Amino acid sequence: MSSSGTGTSAPPSPPPTEPTPGSSPPPAPEGIQRQKRRGSWVIPVVAVIVIIVVIVAVGFAAGWFKSSTSSSSKYSCTAVTSGATLPSPGTIKGEGSSLVEPLIDQWETSYWTGSVVTAYNPAGSSSGISAITLKVVDFGASDAPLTNTQLAAAPGLLEVPEAAGGVVPIYNLAGITHLHFNGSVLAQIFDGQITNWNNTALQSLNPGVTLPSASIAPVYRTGGSGTTFIFTSFLTLKNSYWASHYGRNLSWPSGLPGTSASGNGGEASTVSTTPDAIGYVDIEYALTSSASLGIGAVQNPTGNFIVANVTNTESALVDLHPTLPSGSESWYNVSFLDAPGAGDYPITSLTYLLVYQDLSSAYSSYTLNSAENLVDFIQWAITTGQSWSPKLSYAPLPGFVLTVDNATLSSMMFDGSPVPICVVNGGGAPT
Amino acid sequence: MDPSTPSPPSSPGPSSDSRKVSRWPDRIFFVVVTIVGLGILAMAFAIVGILANSSRESFRVFGWGFLYGTIWDPNKQIFGVIPFVVGTLLTSGIALLIALPLALGSAIFITTQAPRYLRGPVGTAIELLAAVPSVIYGFWGLFVIVPYMRTTVDPFLRTWFGFTGLFTGPAYGFGVLTASVVLAVMIVPTICAVSRDSLLAVPVAQQEAAVSLGATNWETTRTAMLPYARSGIVGGTILGLGRALGETMAVTMVIGNVDRIPTSLFSPGQTIASLIANELLSSTGPLQTSAILECGLVLLGISLGVNVAARLLVWRITKSAGAIVT
Repeated sequence: MSSSGTGTSAPPSPPPTEPTPGSSPPPAPEGIQRQKRRGSWVIPVVAVIVIIVVIVAVGFAAGWFKSSTSSSSKYSCTAVTSGATLPSPGTIKGEGSSLVEPLIDQWETSYWTGSVVTAYNPAGSSSGISAITLKVVDFGASDAPLTNTQLAAAPGLLEVPEAAGGVVPIYNLAGITHLHFNGSVLAQIFDGQITNWNNTALQSLNPGVTLPSASIAPVYRTGGSGTTFIFTSFLTLKNSYWASHYGRNLSWPSGLPGTSASGNGGEASTVSTTPDAIGYVDIEYALTSSASLGIGAVQNPTGNFIVANVTNTESALVDLHPTLPSGSESWYNVSFLDAPGAGDYPITSLTYLLVYQDLSSAYSSYTLNSAENLVDFIQWAITTGQSWSPKLSYAPLPGFVLTVDNATLSSMMFDGSPVPICVVNGGGAPT
Repeated sequence: MDPSTPSPPSSPGPSSDSRKVSRWPDRIFFVVVTIVGLGILAMAFAIVGILANSSRESFRVFGWGFLYGTIWDPNKQIFGVIPFVVGTLLTSGIALLIALPLALGSAIFITTQAPRYLRGPVGTAIELLAAVPSVIYGFWGLFVIVPYMRTTVDPFLRTWFGFTGLFTGPAYGFGVLTASVVLAVMIVPTICAVSRDSLLAVPVAQQEAAVSLGATNWETTRTAMLPYARSGIVGGTILGLGRALGETMAVTMVIGNVDRIPTSLFSPGQTIASLIANELLSSTGPLQTSAILECGLVLLGISLGVNVAARLLVWRITKSAGAIVT
């Protein structure tokens, strides 16, 4: 009714409706057109700018605009003779083991000379192996030696032991700071056969300690970890059930109880905040973590219970003294577990840097400078760098390992010839 | 001087010129926008394509069994997606159960119950919460929620609800329930903000009508406002659920990252997103990488399913709500 009324009856209703259509149309179209015109310019211009910015950003990321750096004179190692070579600029990127991270961090600050920067990402040994296999880093770091499959996936990869460490069981039990473990009991705890802290097997190792009746909360490592590899290698050696069911692996066996934590640091903090928890980390992490953490003593083959430190991990290396392969061979069966000495710590292992032997064919972007820098850094690490190791609870490399390392480093190639070993960039030893 | 004098009479000329010129910007605009639009479409297809292509190896080895495989064992190279599907759906579901009443309550508070001077500030604060980066929530979860769950919530639930069998296992603090709580806090602002907007859109006349009939505040809210705002509330809820399903960082920090089907609400678990974050870079080989990417494809499928379900739900609700309003 109302709509038909306004449509037909012109005289009374127009006043409210007519003025608006009559007066507004002239200005309205102009305004609309102007707005449209302005909008049609602004939007494409902004879009084009955004696209250009994106393309430039992608270009930078892909290295389109990278200026080619001129390489220094080929194969001269003037530093050794004159001692006055300028350090070549560059960044050395590494990724891998969190076990050895405190040491590599220390090396980064000590080695840094203002133009050669090392950047290390402690994403775990498995990540280190993946990254070096994909050639996205200059060196990888792994506490686990590579399997034949892994070596086959990265032809020309060298394993260079750069430090040795001990893996210790850590636990969080209120008021209990000193516990004894052996390999078999550890295996049974971590595979869920021993579920309570007052278990008789555990109690018999710890006479005089009042163990609480509390469920054990195991904490293991997320993803692939070299520390897990060292620890499971030890459990495999000491417990036949573990050996036949789970074996030595980078990834924690599936189906076992417990929760997981990321990195040695995450493992230490999870155990130290979880009551009744047990885990395993490198010595340095156990020592620098919170006071609520107990460090377990582990029984060695002579029956002694040993709390790991630099001295007894170093003596384990020296006492075992196995015949070592060359840097390009497989190190998978090299083991420093269960050394025979009365005071040796049983869960000791080397940890490895992974680098390519032929740098010019491995990395198309490499110059001789980059190759020299990398070799220089590693050479510094296994010589001067070793004097930092004991301060961070790592055992310095014994002579028989250094001999192999030196041979490995001198086998590294650039453009068909060995990379000269200069040690020009490194900082000094700790004072 | 000469050029200035001819210009006033030839005013139609420039205007026709400008009309000719003005076509070009439009054409460029059309082309640019088309390229950008199709580019995004192409990118979406490329992502699905690359995921599918990368998971071929895993599909070749496990086939459809991957989708109902309950074991994820990198050492034995056996991979199945079920532990993570359970983890994802469980954490998101519980998070939604916790978040929905909170979000709806605060949205109703802001729109109807709060004094006028509080509505603006509280609304803005909630929108700000929605903009907090997830790693901050993870950080907060790790240092506040995890210890609190372990020392307070965990014993309480064990004592009073232990009979349900849902609360067993060691008290890590990390786990499915903790992840759900953190997720709930993360999605409350999302749900609340959208719900508030749709509650604000309820016509005042409708509220006044309810009040004039003698309805109490509660009755007005229940009969006049909530039905009208239903589609918006459902939309916000689905948005929140979507965020919960894909949330990675905060979940990774508090869920415990264990590749098993959770046996209780206290047991650590893993969602698909946290699995990808944890294991893609440290995978043990090409098969695991491929399996992880196939998990990503499954997550994409779940998200897509939730979105489609949400569309259908909103569509049905608006249809029925429309019928009620008219």
